[in-house]
Amino acid sequence: MSPHDGFLRVEQVHKWFGDLHVLRGITVDVRPGEVIVLIGPSGSGKSTLLRTMNMLEEPTLGKVYFEGEDLTDVRVDLNMVRTRMGMVFQHFNLFPHKTALANVTLALETVLGLKGPDANERALQQLGDVGLQDKAGSYPSQLSGGQQQRVAIARALAMQPKLMLFDEVTSALDPELIKEVLDVMAKLASEGMTMVVVTHEMGFAREVGSRMLFMDEGLVIEEGDPREMFAEPQHPRTQEFFSQIL
Amino acid sequence: MTGTAATVDPLATDQTKPHRTLSDWYQDQTTLSLTAGVLGATSLSLLVIGTPILITTFGWVPSEKLAEAITSPAQGLLLWISLGLGLTGAALGWGTFRRMPNKAARETAVGGAVLGAQAVVLDVLFLWVRTGQVDVLVRQYFEFGLLADQGPRFVRAALNTLILSLAGETIGIVLGLVLAVFVLSRRRLVRAPARLYINFFRGTPLIWQLSFGWLGIVLALGLGVGPYLAAMLILGLNAGAYSAEIFRAGIESIDRGQFEAARSLGMSYGKALRHVILPQGVRRVIPPLTNEFVILIKDTSLVFILGLTFTQKELLSTARDLYAATFNATPWLAAAAGYLVITLPMIRLVRMLEERLRSGMTGIVGAQ
Ligand SMILES: Nc1ncnc2c1ncn2[C@@H]1O[C@H](COP(=O)(O)OP(=O)(O)OP(=O)(O)O)[C@@H](O)[C@H]1O
Ligand SMILES: [Mg+2]
Repeated sequence: MSPHDGFLRVEQVHKWFGDLHVLRGITVDVRPGEVIVLIGPSGSGKSTLLRTMNMLEEPTLGKVYFEGEDLTDVRVDLNMVRTRMGMVFQHFNLFPHKTALANVTLALETVLGLKGPDANERALQQLGDVGLQDKAGSYPSQLSGGQQQRVAIARALAMQPKLMLFDEVTSALDPELIKEVLDVMAKLASEGMTMVVVTHEMGFAREVGSRMLFMDEGLVIEEGDPREMFAEPQHPRTQEFFSQIL
Repeated sequence: MTGTAATVDPLATDQTKPHRTLSDWYQDQTTLSLTAGVLGATSLSLLVIGTPILITTFGWVPSEKLAEAITSPAQGLLLWISLGLGLTGAALGWGTFRRMPNKAARETAVGGAVLGAQAVVLDVLFLWVRTGQVDVLVRQYFEFGLLADQGPRFVRAALNTLILSLAGETIGIVLGLVLAVFVLSRRRLVRAPARLYINFFRGTPLIWQLSFGWLGIVLALGLGVGPYLAAMLILGLNAGAYSAEIFRAGIESIDRGQFEAARSLGMSYGKALRHVILPQGVRRVIPPLTNEFVILIKDTSLVFILGLTFTQKELLSTARDLYAATFNATPWLAAAAGYLVITLPMIRLVRMLEERLRSGMTGIVGAQ
């Protein structure tokens, strides 16, 4: 298969931070409709790998292809590419000086060029989908962590992306707020969204994930069907990791 | 085991916040606390209210009258009484405040001690001054008659100070913003010249910049720029370097995640800066920027070296001219008063802005 035919392909990617070799040659293919779950111990490079997918981190070596384009090619307009990939962060990163609605409309207006009323309509609809239509006028500081994270998801989804990247989006939440966020993500998966999810929520990984990658020390050392991997992890590091967290 | 319901004291929930009246306060006082308080307050008021009244009976102008008042036996008596009362109040308050039965009495005793101590310090200073050549000092610095018809001139001077500093600050803010963005660039080629500029203007004295800019560049090259405009420009170039550092710190203080969120939505560097980073940074930057403005107001005093024309002169040049004409230093005092009239409200404003920023912090960093 030529790389250009794929949906998202990370090919032989290496990343150094100074002398620290954080990604050590990773190749991952993501097919449309897949929900890839990325797990691994802290510091194994999960976030870095996820962030190379939308080029928030530039790979030191290797290629990233998305819908036939080589994102490491300097001639590619990354801003336009990123409108087709949403990202949700551990700490929400909502814009604190803007209301929930304005958080969602900002990029619709400034990047996609939607007019005010159109942007508002789309944003309200999206906030409604995550159950927050009545919070449109609230500032982030007035919302619970779970609500903030749902606004962040709505903000990314409003761009109508083809791929969503989630980086430990429930790790900063109080336990009783985790479910409302996971529910939104599960619904999104059931609607066919392609997702790459870094998470420590093993229940979610098992129920929603279509493929699971286990990373350790900058390498993907095992991948497979989540249920099978949970039942019979092959690699000793995977076994050790599961025995520690399960 | 099942839990038991916690018992709630119905009285405890009924409590309303106590409201204290003046008579509550009075009832709490003891003889000692009141004595200390009254002694301290009297000693200080005797000095700061009594002295001007006494001087007024002699007359503030001409300076001979003023000197006479200050060296008069009546003023001496006033100072010694104030000193005695102050010492007693301070000693009494300090010695007894720990033994006061309640908070109100303790505060009165402490207050008396503090006011008394302030009076003692000022009285001693004043008495010491009186041992010197009061008439010479007063003739040189407090000949208020000289200022009688200079009002309009000082008002215009104050306006010029304000115009020069406002123009400098405006240029400085625009320039500073551009420099800050350059200094934060990933590219060394963009960063280095901006850094060089900032370090040069922060690293050389403003008075050197003014004299070199005026004599060396404008005059020597014959650029045909007047001194007033040149002063504005050089002050602005200088303020730009300082504002740049303030903006840089403001932008850097915004969480990296804000930038990443904006970029992940497809916003360009410029759009992220304009819609996400700057609106948050500006709020943090206003207090230090206002502070920097206060410094600039005082720094306008250095433009005297540019040889401004009569109507262009700001506070310090005006004072200098009057000094040269009269060989009397009283105009310097007027200049100081002029600076205070402009800077004190600004200093207050900085404090208010800082307060507001602190109390409104949740709205700014609330995303965590
Ligand atoms: N910008 C950076 N500069 C320097 N080192 C970095 C940077 N980002 C990440 N690292 C380092 O790279 C390594 C991998 O980090 P990464 O965040 O990808 O790990 P992770 O698997 O996501 O871990 P966690 O589960 O703790 O989030 C870590 O050692 C980290 O300290
Ligand atoms: Mg991580």
